[in-house]
Amino acid sequence: MAARGLAAETRRMLRDPALLGAVVVLWLLLGLFVLYPLAELLVRAFSDEGRFTLEPLLGSLADSHHRAAFVNSLILGGTVGVLGTVLGFLFAMTATRAGLGRHWLTLLDAAALLPLVSPPFTTSIAIVFSFGPKGFISHDLLGLDNVSAYGFWSTALAETLTYFPIAYLTLRPIIAAIDPNLEEMAFSLGGSRWRIFRTVTLPLAVPGFANAFLLLFAASLADFATPLILAGNNFPVLPTQAYLQITGMFDFKGGAVLSLMLLVPAAAVYLLQRYWVGRRVYVTVTGKVGQRSRSRAIAPWAAVLLVVATVLVAVAILYFYALLLYASLVVAFGANNSFTWQHYHVIFTEGLPAIRDTLIIALIGMPLGGFYGVLVGYLIARRRFPGRQAMEIVSMINYALPGTIVGIAYLIAFNDPPLALTGGALIIVACYIFRYSPTGIRATVALLQQIDRSLEEASASLGAGSGQTFRRVTLPLIAPAFFAGLGVVFIRSMTAISATIFLVSLSWTLITVRILENMTELALGPAAAFSVFVIVVVFVVVSGLSALLMRLRTPMAGAAARSLLGG
Amino acid sequence: MKLLRFMAVALSGWFLAGAAQAADPVNVYSIWPENYARPMFQEFEKATGIKVNFIRFSSGEALARVIAEKNNPRIDVLFGGPVETFAAGIKEGIFQPYKSPSFAKLPARFKQADGQWTAIADDPLVFMTNAAFLKGKNLKAPASWDDLLDPAYKNQLQMADARTSGTAVTRIFSVLEVNKRDEEKAFAYLKKLRQSVQLYTKSGGGGTLPVGLGQAGGGIFFIVDALETKAKGYDVVISFPKEGIGTSAEAIALIKGAKNPEGGKKLIDFATSAAMQSKLSEHKVNFVPANPDVKTDPALAEVLKGANIFPIDDEYAGANRKRIVDRWVKEVLGPQ
Repeated sequence: MAARGLAAETRRMLRDPALLGAVVVLWLLLGLFVLYPLAELLVRAFSDEGRFTLEPLLGSLADSHHRAAFVNSLILGGTVGVLGTVLGFLFAMTATRAGLGRHWLTLLDAAALLPLVSPPFTTSIAIVFSFGPKGFISHDLLGLDNVSAYGFWSTALAETLTYFPIAYLTLRPIIAAIDPNLEEMAFSLGGSRWRIFRTVTLPLAVPGFANAFLLLFAASLADFATPLILAGNNFPVLPTQAYLQITGMFDFKGGAVLSLMLLVPAAAVYLLQRYWVGRRVYVTVTGKVGQRSRSRAIAPWAAVLLVVATVLVAVAILYFYALLLYASLVVAFGANNSFTWQHYHVIFTEGLPAIRDTLIIALIGMPLGGFYGVLVGYLIARRRFPGRQAMEIVSMINYALPGTIVGIAYLIAFNDPPLALTGGALIIVACYIFRYSPTGIRATVALLQQIDRSLEEASASLGAGSGQTFRRVTLPLIAPAFFAGLGVVFIRSMTAISATIFLVSLSWTLITVRILENMTELALGPAAAFSVFVIVVVFVVVSGLSALLMRLRTPMAGAAARSLLGG
Repeated sequence: MKLLRFMAVALSGWFLAGAAQAADPVNVYSIWPENYARPMFQEFEKATGIKVNFIRFSSGEALARVIAEKNNPRIDVLFGGPVETFAAGIKEGIFQPYKSPSFAKLPARFKQADGQWTAIADDPLVFMTNAAFLKGKNLKAPASWDDLLDPAYKNQLQMADARTSGTAVTRIFSVLEVNKRDEEKAFAYLKKLRQSVQLYTKSGGGGTLPVGLGQAGGGIFFIVDALETKAKGYDVVISFPKEGIGTSAEAIALIKGAKNPEGGKKLIDFATSAAMQSKLSEHKVNFVPANPDVKTDPALAEVLKGANIFPIDDEYAGANRKRIVDRWVKEVLGPQ
């Protein structure tokens, strides 16, 4: 049975040149930029002078410090996954159901997107300044002495604030796409608001929850910058340990083994999500979009509560970033608080090469990453071909692996001819595309799960080939996911550091690497100025994308554009 | 349209980056922070007309990259950084021995006998404390290792993590020397010191800003970072323990298989000579010169006056480094 299914799938694929071409090209790319570096890394980890050995793995497992780090990573990932999803849902509900005006929505979006568009350690630094032993809040405001800003809760808080916008971005289009008429119908049939929320709204949002949790869990598992600054010494986590093992102890083997331990939980969450979400059907878009009636599904008091809670979080975030802006405009933060433009002058003179390189790399990676994400997501969600599940898993690998490991693997794999790519820009672009497009892939899959297959089947039965159907029917429907994926690749190209810190070279350097440099050089001013610059650029580009999306003619894209990118 | 132009620029960039560069510029990984390294490379360019392309990495990262790039080296010279990083590099066979004209006149601890690396500066450790913290707790600047065990310091110090930082390794070997290499006594002290430590940071200077800002009360740092903190305007106090504290040499080395070995050698000649090291004080880079022909900056000499500073024994440290760091990670670092 299975064999016959496979044979049929293979036959169908061979008859469809567009599908065949896409699958072959994708596998070549995935092989080159995901599997090959990983294989090189595994060879490093499990061979000793040409012989296979498990010694490094067993040694790591026997080490109680490493086992503690493993457990801590799971606790942290789970906590951030849950808290971030809740926060993202809160923001998404407020944005789509609380009936806020346009300007309020824009403000809300701005606050929610700030953490996503800034270098990851900015939140950490702000938390240390606020809650540390002499923090503005802990010491100056509350008069506490000798508190510690390091440990589990501050790390979880920083990661939640940094990554919850992913949940927001994932959930908002999905909740926005839930036709309010459905809720309206339930309401007029006499359902209570709570019952409607429980039985209509929540179940329809389940694929979004699962995706959001998965993405947050994976992001937390792989994040090393935040724990590096905030986890302190009593709460070791795996990515940081792996990073220190490699950069500090010069121990490639140990670092590779530690990071491979991360793959196990990442794969487990992935499978859970697949089989939990997979069994439900979530079609609410059936070709004709219902008139957007104003939702009555939320009681006025609940709407007020939502808004108040959201605004509180937003204010906290804005406060953190006001601190950053302030640090970029004073001579020496905390010592000499007189106003200066000097730091901006520095980044536009000495820092100009980094700015130029980063922008070029981000602008090249953006369209490629967006298209790659939609293509893979579409193939996974809609097409049947041999190796589909394998492709889905392989496409997630670079996202789930800690960036340090991806960086080291690329460095090992692409240093020698014939694939000597290190030192150029291509390797950085490739790293970003294959590491950050899974957001676009997941968004595409989630969106397609809400769009009835019959639309494409109609196109096919009218004689359109798979390429034409994709272009004319599916692509417009999943345009929001395309722009979400493209946006994330751009944002990450501007802000990520963990993998690419190994890939920057004499000819191509990045702003984020400069920021970290500046921090170790005590130059907090330029670091803050760079951060502010990054945030401004990303905001401008994301707003531009949003405007572009609004001009697309499909009603679905227009509506989702508003919901996805804000304003 | 703009995007197209960007892509064109980027594509040409790849080809340029891929093709071997003309012989002229020297490619360097600098372990010294940019604000210390940049003026030195500008002086080199002024003196020789050779341009230096450089990028800065912390010592562990720089070493990991050079090892990964072993079969196809991207740089000619590894510049700055504590000698223990270079000692680890020798084991990986990444250096090309080279003796500059200044090599002969350097004392033994400032060079590897075969010329695998040569020292360009010396960098003693210091205690650095926040002035307001001292005043608030009514303390004098710490003048003994035992002062740091005072309950007033509980959860107040930041210093580097020995897994990543040469600063930390020098610090631990200082404690060993102070305890006459009695490991049991030294580790008993380090465990007690752990109670005072708020955070072990990744890089050696990672704690300087928190101390400057008062987030932490104090810490143990290299003098170059401590004086830089002071120069930035933060009110910190520098002091030395009466039992003595260690110092670590900063080195330079030629990379095996370098694409521009001649340029690399010229940079090493320059960096090990009085030509560069006499410029240190001019640019307010507070390393102690290694070349005996160069006088220490008077202001720096003033800070160092009367301080009990000893060099870390290279051979002893090299032979025991891994074991000591492993023991430190196991017994001191972990959750307490």
